[in-house]
Amino acid sequence: MFLEYTIVYKAENNYANWVKNAHWQFLIIPEQNETQKFISTDFKNSLNTKIEYSINGYGFKTIRLHPKIEFKQISFEASFRLIKKDVNPFDFNLDNHTENHYKKLIELEFQIEFERFLKKSNYTNLSDSQKRLFIFDKSLSIFDNLQNLNQWTFNYLFFNAEATDVNTKLSEIIAMQKGVCQDFTHLFCALARQNGIPSRYVSGYLHQGNGFFGDSQMHAWAEAYIPEIGWIGFDPTNNILVNSNHIKVSHGKDYSDCAPLKGILNTLGANKTKHSVQVLRQQQQ
Amino acid sequence: MLARVANNLFWMGRYIERSEHIARYLNVNYFSSLDAPNTKSQNRQFVLRSMLFMVGTPEKDENKILIEQDVLFQIGLDCDSPYSIINNIRHARENANSARDLISTELYESINKFYHFVLNYSSDAFVKNGLHDFTSNVAEMTAILRGKIRGTLLHDDIYAIIMMGVNIERATQIIRIINAKYNDALIARGSYGDKINNSFEWTTLLKCAESYDMMRRFYKKTPTTISTLEFLILNPNCPRSIMNSLNQVYGHIKILDPSRAYDKSTTAFLIGKVRAEYQYKYIEEIEENIQVFIENILQNLNEISEKMEKEFFNY
Amino acid sequence: MGTVENQIFSSYERNPDLYDEIYKKHGEIKKVYKKLFELYGEHSIEDYVNLNTKAKSSFFNQGITFQVYGKKETQEKIFPFDLFPRIIAPDEWEVIEKGAIQRSKALNLFLWDIYHDKNIIKDGIVPLDLIISSDNYLDQMVGFDPPGGIYNHISGTDIIKHNDGKYYVLEDNIRCPSGVSYVISNRTALKRALFGVFNHYQTYSVTNYAENLLDILETTKPKGIDIPITVVLTPGMYNSAFYEHSYLAKTMGVELVEGRDLVVENDFVYMKTIKGLIKVDIIYRRVDDAFLDPLEFNPDSALGVPGLFAAYIKGNVTLANAPGTGVADDKAVYTYMPQIIKYYLDEEPILNNVHTYHCSRPDELKYVLEHINELVIKPVDEAGGYGISIGNRLTSEEIEIVKKQVSESPRKYVAQPIMSLSVHPTYIEESQSFEQRHVDLRTFTILGQNKDFVLKGGLTRVALKKGNLIVNSSQGGGSKDTWVLKN
Repeated sequence: MFLEYTIVYKAENNYANWVKNAHWQFLIIPEQNETQKFISTDFKNSLNTKIEYSINGYGFKTIRLHPKIEFKQISFEASFRLIKKDVNPFDFNLDNHTENHYKKLIELEFQIEFERFLKKSNYTNLSDSQKRLFIFDKSLSIFDNLQNLNQWTFNYLFFNAEATDVNTKLSEIIAMQKGVCQDFTHLFCALARQNGIPSRYVSGYLHQGNGFFGDSQMHAWAEAYIPEIGWIGFDPTNNILVNSNHIKVSHGKDYSDCAPLKGILNTLGANKTKHSVQVLRQQQQ
Repeated sequence: MLARVANNLFWMGRYIERSEHIARYLNVNYFSSLDAPNTKSQNRQFVLRSMLFMVGTPEKDENKILIEQDVLFQIGLDCDSPYSIINNIRHARENANSARDLISTELYESINKFYHFVLNYSSDAFVKNGLHDFTSNVAEMTAILRGKIRGTLLHDDIYAIIMMGVNIERATQIIRIINAKYNDALIARGSYGDKINNSFEWTTLLKCAESYDMMRRFYKKTPTTISTLEFLILNPNCPRSIMNSLNQVYGHIKILDPSRAYDKSTTAFLIGKVRAEYQYKYIEEIEENIQVFIENILQNLNEISEKMEKEFFNY
Repeated sequence: MGTVENQIFSSYERNPDLYDEIYKKHGEIKKVYKKLFELYGEHSIEDYVNLNTKAKSSFFNQGITFQVYGKKETQEKIFPFDLFPRIIAPDEWEVIEKGAIQRSKALNLFLWDIYHDKNIIKDGIVPLDLIISSDNYLDQMVGFDPPGGIYNHISGTDIIKHNDGKYYVLEDNIRCPSGVSYVISNRTALKRALFGVFNHYQTYSVTNYAENLLDILETTKPKGIDIPITVVLTPGMYNSAFYEHSYLAKTMGVELVEGRDLVVENDFVYMKTIKGLIKVDIIYRRVDDAFLDPLEFNPDSALGVPGLFAAYIKGNVTLANAPGTGVADDKAVYTYMPQIIKYYLDEEPILNNVHTYHCSRPDELKYVLEHINELVIKPVDEAGGYGISIGNRLTSEEIEIVKKQVSESPRKYVAQPIMSLSVHPTYIEESQSFEQRHVDLRTFTILGQNKDFVLKGGLTRVALKKGNLIVNSSQGGGSKDTWVLKN
């Protein structure tokens, strides 16, 4: 079955003083992959500045703009239409290779191939005592362990939009047990990596029709790699496997690879930023 | 050529030229006042006020007694006063620094030597007895720089940009000097009833513009208001005149913008228009209202500079 | 001619424990230095003081200076320059030149490998963690093919002569090695001051560096470009190496640009000129990786060009050296150089490596902590001679501090035996005489597609403080003209 999505991303920035020579880069275009196919994309900005489509350092599509005039206010509106294949998240073969899978994890070739998603990063750094927060039960399959970790993370942190921001360290988040989807995802990734599982941060949109946490902002979840199966998506904020409600934009080692909006600007004084995301779905025949 | 670097070269030219005019103004006014024919022109306060007026910071308090050494330091070697000679040369060198790969080694070395000369000049010596030595050295070194600009750079767009800076600044400084000396002449007349027409200040003015000898050769008479202004403003053969500077600027913009198409938005068009206006002016028109004339020409020069910035240096 | 007492070498004291480059073991002057020794000996100290002052003002007037930021006024200083040149005999130079090219090529193959298949790690020669934990390893470069297959276009190799008379490499600098302009200005200054001495020696010229640099950079132009436009990217005139940047741009005949002079449109890079935008194909950048593109790396960088990295990844512009190259000049990688050379080139290293102890290996850490007074402790990722501790110069308290630092983060440190750098007669202003000072040599190698070049000369750096072993200019070092003799 196919679903058709319309996603509207809006951002508005207000500055106390004139802004000169600004550059913005948006990382908000849904990825084209096996389950996501594009219909159309549209991007408007209130200054009618010319926009450019480009890529970031990891090959994900970006939108860049660089207004040539001075301004105090600018707003952006992007809308994407795409078709999403409805897939069963459990649609893989869970044979009894558990032991072989664990062996695979400690092979050098495997560690080399997935080094980027196995090593520590700024947002996934654990203190020594925190490294043992979740230890895999080797008698269970990797998938089962990851599902348990998903649930554990969901239970461990309380969703709270005020408690943290992009500067909060993972160790602080663990201490206060509060956070938003980014924090759930970083914690999941950090502990999965600690157990030798390559895992990556995913930025995207969540269709909220089913009452999931997502805060009408961009959403974040994790993908973990299971030998012989591949990358599987886990959404620890909602304790679910990633499904057709999740529309992926990009992935990386952590948030810093996936920041939806980067701005380089020259201005003094205060500024206010508002973002909103709307995800609409209609069923297709 | 990079737009930023073009801007630097333009300003390098301007700062070199500016430092020369300020130095000469100090020198000529100070030393010619020592044996001036009337007491007002001999008055040290009068001379110091004139100097401050010329660099754009006139002393408004009429009763204030100015201290000679302070004023000289302020205009010559004070790093904290934006118009000082030392700051002009510092800026010239900074602009040269960032365009260092484009200008000749010889030119750069001369600017650098010049800077170190000024930097190492003792301010004590300068305000006590070094005024002549310092200012004549500055004038000498700017002449060397002009020689290096002309003789060691390819006469291409780099040269054209520097020379536009030099000539726009020269016209600006000449008009500022005229303004200052005109103002002095009014004051000198006001107090002692001399005729402004034959004021001693006109001779000083011509000397400030290094044009006294040329002028005498051309008119063979004592300078008057009319002949002095005519010579310094309208005579195209006087290398320091406004007209001559405008002609040079016009020649150089043609190198940067050789197009012959009619386009009223270009700098070349504006320069041509201003130049044509002065080409067909006569001195009696100017004399009618000198103050208005001075304001107009300063505004014209500003507009040219701003237009250049928009067209060539906008980065 | 001065009397014997006036002659400038009369008070030269030789410490028998040091390897003096101009003397043979038994106190006889080496053949190549004989003539030079005689010629300099003809000058009285007064003559020499005079020449030295002139040479200094020549540097000063040329503006070959760097800025020292003081309380009130920024001061300009020249890099101290010594008028007594260092001579490298043809047979010795041949070894250095071949060795430097060998290292550059091996490093380039190593960089290609670690950013692609990582075979050297799979084959167990270099540990995975050593590479991926380096701050200079760029994830973005994995799987990317740099134009022409070249990462380290320009390498600066720091070489010393130990008291065994052999050359050793101390480190490979392949981020933004600087100093080449001083090689050339030292030569100019020496020619101006003592042109007569050149009549007696057949010395290779050093002025062909820039043309070779441009030529070789152009072999790595982006695909589809016939005649590439090259620029030099500088952080600006307040950078201590700005003179060098402007010198290179000038002698290559290309524009010297700052980040703000460049703009990226549709993933192509342009410079802003008085005639509008002109496309740029090759950027010899003297700006560190982190500052190249604020949208991709350090967002606070005002030196960079937003969008530059995307243009690079799309293959539309060449950056030299390639981003991420720094991972291979990490001091921990240095210690694997003999194996790296062998692995990729199947050759024995031509230049020696100094034996290195890895504090990350427990047994070696133990040795280091026990023998700290015989070792030099170096942080793995600091450039410019910062953070180096020389064991036999430390007080017992300092030793304890170093030991603590090393045991706390062993991965950050390596240790090497204290190498004794050779010494060379150097004029010391305070004593107005020649004294022995330690020297090293930085060579400059340029690598391109099927083309390479080593500048026949290099920068001899002198540690001006008596007994000091650190020659970096940021640590008060000076330099000497370096003559490579023709056969």
